[in-house]
Amino acid sequence: MSSVTVKIPTPLRPLTSGQAEVKVEGATVGEILQKLDAQFRGFGDRILDDGKNVKRFVNIFVNEDNIRDRKDLDTEVRAGDTISILPSIAGGS
Amino acid sequence: MITIPASLLRQIYDHTEASYPYECCGLMIGAMGENRKVHAFRTCKNLNTERAHDRYEMNPLDMLRVEREFENSPWDIIGIYHSHPDHPSRPSPTDTERAWPDYSYVIISVQQGTVAGAQSWVLNEGERKFYEEPLITGDSK
Repeated sequence: MSSVTVKIPTPLRPLTSGQAEVKVEGATVGEILQKLDAQFRGFGDRILDDGKNVKRFVNIFVNEDNIRDRKDLDTEVRAGDTISILPSIAGGS
Repeated sequence: MITIPASLLRQIYDHTEASYPYECCGLMIGAMGENRKVHAFRTCKNLNTERAHDRYEMNPLDMLRVEREFENSPWDIIGIYHSHPDHPSRPSPTDTERAWPDYSYVIISVQQGTVAGAQSWVLNEGERKFYEEPLITGDSK
């Protein structure tokens, strides 16, 4: 098991009791997110569709890499990695 | 309420005017809370090149870069600004559809290349509706 740091964006902090980062153990991004969902009710619903895929308007990075460019939720993590959950920001007039 | 120092707001306006007739976007960094104050901003790239005149999509790598830059500071990303070329500074249906709660969304109307006004909005997620918040122009940083 690898202990990684997960960075929580401002809009999701009400779900993590205001915590900006959380330490979690797991082998893949999917496993890490499952543990966060178990720890913080409703967390998974905000970032996953049907619990299996990352929502279209959410970006997840492992260190500097977007997991969509790797193996999505199957992306492996190593001890000391940083996972950043970032809202996708868009709009227009 | 959100307070933006006049010098920073002018620089944000400069970004929106320089980007005209295209939409531009950036992140505002500062202290969260009832009375938010912007301490810095960072310009971000608009990835929407097909409809840049009326759409924006922030480069997620820019957001990651800003998050990293301020991770050991007392500040956070507290909001987003973007321009509406030749449109009012009110949220569009697209803005509302793609909005996240808690962030301040500052929309700047740029008419014929010159800033015509700015308003700040916060999403009520339950209603899926934006409400305006007072935008105060502070004197100092």
